[in-house]
Amino acid sequence: MRAYARYAFGRFLQFLLVVFIGINIAYIITHATPIDPVEHTVSVATAFGHTAPEAIESMRQSLRELYGLTGSPIEQYLNFWRRVLVADFGPSLSAFPSPVSTLIGRAIPWTVGLLGVATILTWIIGNLLGGLAGYYRRSRILKGFGIVAMALHPMPYYIAAILLLIVFGYLWPILPISGGSQMNVARGWSSEYILSVVRHSMLPLLSLLLVGLGGWFVGMRSLVSNVVTEDYVVYAELAGVSKRRILTAYVMRNAIAPQVTGLAISLGHVFSGALITERVFGYPGIGSLLVDGVHAGDYSLVLGVTTVSIVGVSLAVLVIDLIYPLIDPRVTVS
Amino acid sequence: MKSAARWLAAGVLAGSTFWGLIQPANAQGIPKDIPRNQLLILENPEGTVKNAAWFNIWAINANSQSNGLQQAALDTLWYIDPNSGIDGVWDNSLASEKPVYNANFTEMRVKLRRGIYWSDGVEFTSADVKFTVDMMVKTPGMRWSAVLANAVETVETPDAETVIFKLKRPNSRFHSLFTVRWNAIWIAPKHIFEKAEDPNKFAFEKPVSLSAYVLHSHDPDGKWYIWQRRSDWQRTSLARFGEPAPRYLAYVDPGPPDKRVIAQMNKELDVVHDIAPEGMFTLARQNPTSKAWFKGFPFGHPDPTLPSAIFNTQLDMFKNKDVRWALTLLVDIKAVSMASYRGAATISPIHVPPTGRHPETYHLAMQDWLADFEIDTGKRKIKPYDRTMARQIADSLRPSMGNQIPSDPKDIAKAFGTGWWKPDPQAATELLERAGFRKQGNQWLKPDGTPFVIRVVVEGDARPIMTRAGSMIAQSWRQFGIDARVDVAAGTLLTRRAAGDFDVILSWSVETWGGHQDLSFFMDSWHSAYVAPPGQSQPSRNWQRWSHPELDKIIEQIRGIDFDDPKGIELGKEFVKLATREMPVIPLMSYNVFTVADETYWTGFPTADNPYANPVPNWGNSRYMFVKIKPKQ
Repeated sequence: MRAYARYAFGRFLQFLLVVFIGINIAYIITHATPIDPVEHTVSVATAFGHTAPEAIESMRQSLRELYGLTGSPIEQYLNFWRRVLVADFGPSLSAFPSPVSTLIGRAIPWTVGLLGVATILTWIIGNLLGGLAGYYRRSRILKGFGIVAMALHPMPYYIAAILLLIVFGYLWPILPISGGSQMNVARGWSSEYILSVVRHSMLPLLSLLLVGLGGWFVGMRSLVSNVVTEDYVVYAELAGVSKRRILTAYVMRNAIAPQVTGLAISLGHVFSGALITERVFGYPGIGSLLVDGVHAGDYSLVLGVTTVSIVGVSLAVLVIDLIYPLIDPRVTVS
Repeated sequence: MKSAARWLAAGVLAGSTFWGLIQPANAQGIPKDIPRNQLLILENPEGTVKNAAWFNIWAINANSQSNGLQQAALDTLWYIDPNSGIDGVWDNSLASEKPVYNANFTEMRVKLRRGIYWSDGVEFTSADVKFTVDMMVKTPGMRWSAVLANAVETVETPDAETVIFKLKRPNSRFHSLFTVRWNAIWIAPKHIFEKAEDPNKFAFEKPVSLSAYVLHSHDPDGKWYIWQRRSDWQRTSLARFGEPAPRYLAYVDPGPPDKRVIAQMNKELDVVHDIAPEGMFTLARQNPTSKAWFKGFPFGHPDPTLPSAIFNTQLDMFKNKDVRWALTLLVDIKAVSMASYRGAATISPIHVPPTGRHPETYHLAMQDWLADFEIDTGKRKIKPYDRTMARQIADSLRPSMGNQIPSDPKDIAKAFGTGWWKPDPQAATELLERAGFRKQGNQWLKPDGTPFVIRVVVEGDARPIMTRAGSMIAQSWRQFGIDARVDVAAGTLLTRRAAGDFDVILSWSVETWGGHQDLSFFMDSWHSAYVAPPGQSQPSRNWQRWSHPELDKIIEQIRGIDFDDPKGIELGKEFVKLATREMPVIPLMSYNVFTVADETYWTGFPTADNPYANPVPNWGNSRYMFVKIKPKQ
């Protein structure tokens, strides 16, 4: 137990270090970007109207003060860390003066909802079918599914999404093609709103399932193919244990462990959003927010989203590493 | 058996759930509980608005403007339509007459309309105008603070319908700040904003309106905004033209161009703001109710904006006009038109957009001058202008597009423009050699012996038409032996353009009113006083950083005459001649916007045959559509 505590503490310190380095890299990259948020705002503000050129410099100065971009780079960096420690990323520069945390808070439920459900569903279905395909190797249906999964897996996500959009949004328009819910439906826990959200999530969800399923399927099938040749499985078969029991208690249970790790990491990635999914389907999640932030040179927003993502992924890996020794007898803490 | 039954039941349940979810899904793209025949759905090209509940358009980071706020809810003193207007291009909106200046343009007097009310029942008066200006002058960092602080000494309001602006220096174009082209300084409600502690941080979450519509509801995530016609719409300036027909307006983010096409075909988007030419052709072919500006090819609405290949004239290699002209004579405008707009471009050989009232004033009126215009290459004199260029484009399209392509010269001029500069590689060679450049093998070298390299900056996927034009121009130069490279500045174009971080950039530094021949809208900012030194940020719009003593003279003369003075047109022509001789940017074409209106529910949208308003739905003056369209069902 003491060995485990030592391991857990060391692993936690490692987690903190990874988060610290990750956020610093994000900070350096966002501040090295050639997009100047002040210049971007000035350009947008003066793009259409008749602005006397001599007025622009004072506009720039006002914006720097407004955005808190005055002061030396070191002061700005220290201020950033002071705020990050209390989960405050400051105001968004492209949606000033809205706090970044408000924007992220509004977008996260959409992304976590969609990607969380999609990740768990693809994981369950992919592993289930992959496990069956690996065990019942002669089943034609499962072989057929394997061929389909192998064909779909390398397909670029964007193509799959566009195909679904054309099929279900245009040729046979039965699913909404954009947004998170229907216009003019009040938000809340009413069945009408929930149903509207579910409907709007169906196309993005289907596209994620279509492309994501193959990976889990192929992985699980390979794992099961290896496990079925193990001595204890052969022994169980010779001992007359039923096939279903062998599959569930001996094969799947031992093959699933690496897939659980994969699931945890995938769930961690939920916090970074699915950029392409959200762009293609106009989904109001964190991925769209990140892309908008990048285009507008909005450091605060980009840093906020990447920080959430870094913490999310690192935390998922940490949790897995801490749980693994407790659930897998083959892993020991020496 | 039991297990089979269980599987069957589960399948039936899953199937029926799925079926329930997709019925009636094709109505999901329209607002619930709003009759479709009372609703006009328009695209907001800003996309999804991050700061959805922010309606303070006077703050520097106004966030969203074209979510219906400036088109349906706000108003200001005057409007100029880029086309012909309902009752002439000039509209006295909140003002009851045109601005009246004193003799030396240091004072502007405005008479306001009476009987105009904010949507909360408070009467609009001169106090609102004065408050709007004072608020921005007193609060640095607001959107028009700097402009107004630089220009305005005081604002006086002797009575409820009179406003007198005392200016710090003579300015015959001061009224243009309050004249809508795309936008202008909108009048703020004094009774609301005077309670705001910091006007820059006041969200104005429940906007009161001064125009015919008021906010009904909006998406907290910023994907849609619904505006409802005011019950007292008669107490707004728009009422002079009748009742706005749609009871509701929805400004939506329909997503990328392919989805806009699908949405319009599904009858979920009445007005598309812009799509790629290919999307336009698809709608024209497959959706009979889709109507664009032109009945047939080239379809798009020509904005009074001039996409150009802009030289950075502060670079040594572009300081000599011979070099700029040489590069112009290597451009094949027909190839650029095909590459960018698939032929659906309205070309312009001069530095004025070929739109609105400009063709009659400049393009057509100056045909003879252009035809006689000569360039001395050092070895001979050439007349580079070809007045048949637009006709050649039309002729090349006719075999594939049939009778969609006009054959009447007037219609061709309206749709495709007039002439352009003939490609002349021999003359380009002579001009470059005269400028000290030389060719070694297949590679042109600069006078200092280094390779002649040009980075052509384009915006990438965000602006495919300009990107394709830039790529075609770079290819023409490359074929001639110049090392021209396309440099994609996705997301950084605005910053790089202002910083002068380009050799040539595909953008525009020329924008005009369109409906009025005055060119000061862009030209004033081309004065040498505003040219930033190399390395410093350039204020809009002289991105080419070009200056010329003759141009300064023209600008200063324009500043000293009235907006409507016919002398302005003569000075405009002087500018055209100077810019043609100097070629600081290569003018290409108007910005043709593929705005498409679907006539399933509404008819009477503005078109080239009935150009009473600008149909492009993010422009402030698109509001005139609301009183002219009629319900179809």
